[in-house]
Amino acid sequence: MSPAFSVGRAIRGSAVVVAFVLILAPILIVVVTAFSPTDYFQFPPPGFSLRWFVEFFRLDNMRNAFTLSLELALLSATIATVLGTLGALYLARRRGVVAGLLQSLFLAPLVFPTIILGLALLLLYKSLGVPVFPGLLLAHCVIGMPYCFRTVLASVQALDPALEEAGQSLGAGPLETFFLVTLPLIWQGVLSGWLFAFIVSFGELNTALFLSGPGLTTLPIEIFSYLQFQGSQLVIAAASTIQIVLIVLLVAGIERIVGMGRIIRSR
Amino acid sequence: MSAAGPPQGAHSAPSGGLGAQQMRDADVRLDRVRKTFGAVIAVNDVTLDIERGTIFSLLGPSGCGKTTTLRLIAGFEQPSAGEVYIRGKRVTSIAPYRRDFSMVFQSYALFPHLSVAENVAFGLRMRRVPRAERGAAIKEALELVKLGALADRYPRQLSGGQQQRVALARAIVVKPAVLLLDEPLGALDKMLREEMQVELRDLQQRLGITAVFVTHDQEEALTLSDRVAVMRGGVIEQIGAPREIYDRPVSEFVAGFLGASNFLDGSVVAREGAIAVVATAGGHVRVVDAAATTPVGAKVRVAVRPERVRMSGPGGEGLHGKVRSIVYRGPVTHYYMDGVGGPLLAYAQNAGAADWAVGDEVRCAWDVEGAVVVAPERA
Amino acid sequence: MKGLRNLWAWALLTPPLAAAVVLFVVPLLYLFYISLHAASPSEIYGSTLTLENYTSVLSDGFYLGIIRRTIGTAAAILALCLFIGYPVAYFVALLPTRRRMIVLLLLLFPLMVSNVVRAYGWVALLGRRGVINTGLRDLGVIDLPLDLLYNTEAVVVGLMTILLPYMVITIANTLAALDRRYEEAAQALGAGPVRTFLHVTLPLSTPGIASGMLLVFLLTLSAYVTITLLGGPRSKLLVSMVYDSVVGFQWPRAAALAFILLAIALTLTGVILAVLRPNRVQGIGR
Repeated sequence: MSPAFSVGRAIRGSAVVVAFVLILAPILIVVVTAFSPTDYFQFPPPGFSLRWFVEFFRLDNMRNAFTLSLELALLSATIATVLGTLGALYLARRRGVVAGLLQSLFLAPLVFPTIILGLALLLLYKSLGVPVFPGLLLAHCVIGMPYCFRTVLASVQALDPALEEAGQSLGAGPLETFFLVTLPLIWQGVLSGWLFAFIVSFGELNTALFLSGPGLTTLPIEIFSYLQFQGSQLVIAAASTIQIVLIVLLVAGIERIVGMGRIIRSR
Repeated sequence: MSAAGPPQGAHSAPSGGLGAQQMRDADVRLDRVRKTFGAVIAVNDVTLDIERGTIFSLLGPSGCGKTTTLRLIAGFEQPSAGEVYIRGKRVTSIAPYRRDFSMVFQSYALFPHLSVAENVAFGLRMRRVPRAERGAAIKEALELVKLGALADRYPRQLSGGQQQRVALARAIVVKPAVLLLDEPLGALDKMLREEMQVELRDLQQRLGITAVFVTHDQEEALTLSDRVAVMRGGVIEQIGAPREIYDRPVSEFVAGFLGASNFLDGSVVAREGAIAVVATAGGHVRVVDAAATTPVGAKVRVAVRPERVRMSGPGGEGLHGKVRSIVYRGPVTHYYMDGVGGPLLAYAQNAGAADWAVGDEVRCAWDVEGAVVVAPERA
Repeated sequence: MKGLRNLWAWALLTPPLAAAVVLFVVPLLYLFYISLHAASPSEIYGSTLTLENYTSVLSDGFYLGIIRRTIGTAAAILALCLFIGYPVAYFVALLPTRRRMIVLLLLLFPLMVSNVVRAYGWVALLGRRGVINTGLRDLGVIDLPLDLLYNTEAVVVGLMTILLPYMVITIANTLAALDRRYEEAAQALGAGPVRTFLHVTLPLSTPGIASGMLLVFLLTLSAYVTITLLGGPRSKLLVSMVYDSVVGFQWPRAAALAFILLAIALTLTGVILAVLRPNRVQGIGR
């Protein structure tokens, strides 16, 4: 083993350690802090207490923000899944310039700077007089749709196209083919897509930043406000931890149903 | 429905206008069907009839349009022009799930999430056959393909051959007007394939189903079919019974595609009715000229099957050849020879008669019936 | 019944297409339209068409400085993500499948946590009463807390760690999908580990590098919350200017700034793609 080789491995090893520490440490600190009994930020916390979780649920604005985020995520993920699935079914077997353009259009919100989209939607909503909640909901739908589109597209394209034709050859019309042949074979892709759309919506900042309104803020924006205006840090730690726990539960639950490989591959 | 003459290149019996009688007997009819994909013409004015209860095969090299033609019958492709009829009914604009056919796919396309029995039941469910009747029909179909015991297995637990049988059972249980098969035996190994060919034919005869299948394997087509359509470049080059197209190919392509063939060039020096005397580089030969159209003096190409060539010693009749190489093939031996006008190939049965050796000078002869005038390949 | 067949196709296409057009294309076109108008005290935009929103920004030294800082910050983050991320990705790609999946899930998980939470973690680390400062004071290394927060460096470190998983995951996926035999072929031709890496592995992983870089870069430009929390009022980047204009109800200016941001994004995307040319290695595994 040449010295260059060992140095290479040492670099790799230390990079890995550094990377994981840098990535995970901030999150761990937040979670640990949430259980602190103190009034102000102190690390490591001197004891263990759930007071800040209690406080989180006591505070109206926190509770409302949490509920709003949850509702938004559930609704927008479901709508995004329907839209994404329809789009994927349409494009799965189509080729050509138009199909390529459509696919780019459907995937565009994934890479497009969401802050610009947020601003654009804000101004459009202002002109049309769209109220806050529907506005936010629609924004999260259009942001979540590409995730579902992508996972369902991959699932449908992995299917033997002859399967749908076989269904038709035996007399199954379009709806019957979808529900009896296609869906049973792609439902895991659909569910993964839903999961991503939910998680993205729940943690979404950039459009909520512009589109939230008085009394209607999402949880991440509420946390941001607290941080900006030096509100109680520890309630934020609790709020953050609740968000993290929710995500962990959701991912674990879906992983059980769908399997790890599918979740990884859709990134 | 016009009364046009025989379509270009096709040598089926002239199908002038379509009388009511013919309509009733033809389970499938394609009338000047054409399919283009952008600039590519995949199927070019194809007309054919398929009689009830027969097996019809579409044979040809990759890209000849045979699969597209099958899919046009199924409805998975829409023709750019022309009409498709199933059992006399015009189905050209009718979606596949409303046409009376079923299909065995090259990949079998068994539904992975359903058991064998559920797969077979699918078509019956679509046709709203009551549950009680379904059970009996499924059982019968599975017995017919010899898979009675595997009703509760799932496709991934079956071998390729077993999956193929399930696909077949699923397609026949619904008693379709037409059974379409897209290279159904392509994925099987040689022995299994030959076994399935026989079984398929038996099944079809027993049930009397009209079947259309697509293959690139000429042996398979000749074994299984009542009639064969040889296709190339979207056009049917010849339609006929297996023996007819094998013994009397109309073109060099058809002759070459269906098996090995000798080709000799020459010009017609005399005619005797349906027989033409052709002067080739190696000598005069008498050949069958079925169309009886080639005039004296015309340049022709003659096709002779190697198994028709009889080899004899230097003093015998026929064209001269010198044995260049020999390939032993078990039941036959192939003799590759150099003749005056080009290479010659003969298959000799290894029936215990004397063998020839490399370097031998021989004479090659054949019965008139074994030589045919064929349209040469362009360029 | 060809019409019916098309009906099904339209039923599939219309909802997502309508959503994409109405909620994505139209708002952006409208935004661009607004950016070409003068400001108005009462309406969203005034009646005069003008390029002033763009020219005033692009000729203003202050804004140009912000733009420079934005590009510089993005470049620093990209470089760090690449230099730390590539070795990590290499390590991950070499792991046996099961373990690799677990590690990738471990990397995926932070991405699902909202950026505001992760930024808060850095505030807790770098703040005056944060983990690092209290730690160093307890150890007696310093007396007064260090000002680690509210500067560009904090933004770079914070964003870099937030976006690192994207880089690692895209590169790791590309590397893992590489046919091992390319490296074996190189070694059979006499290339040692270093040369194999430089001449075979690295070039073949360009699609992953390009994806990772584009993703990190685009997210950097857009990460208002993190930039604000970690950079404070004195380390503003272009996206902060957009927000400030919104707060000040200067809609046309905000719109123009947004499109300048977009232009920067597209230009540098083009540069990255032109330099790396990931299309050369099409077909080696997605």
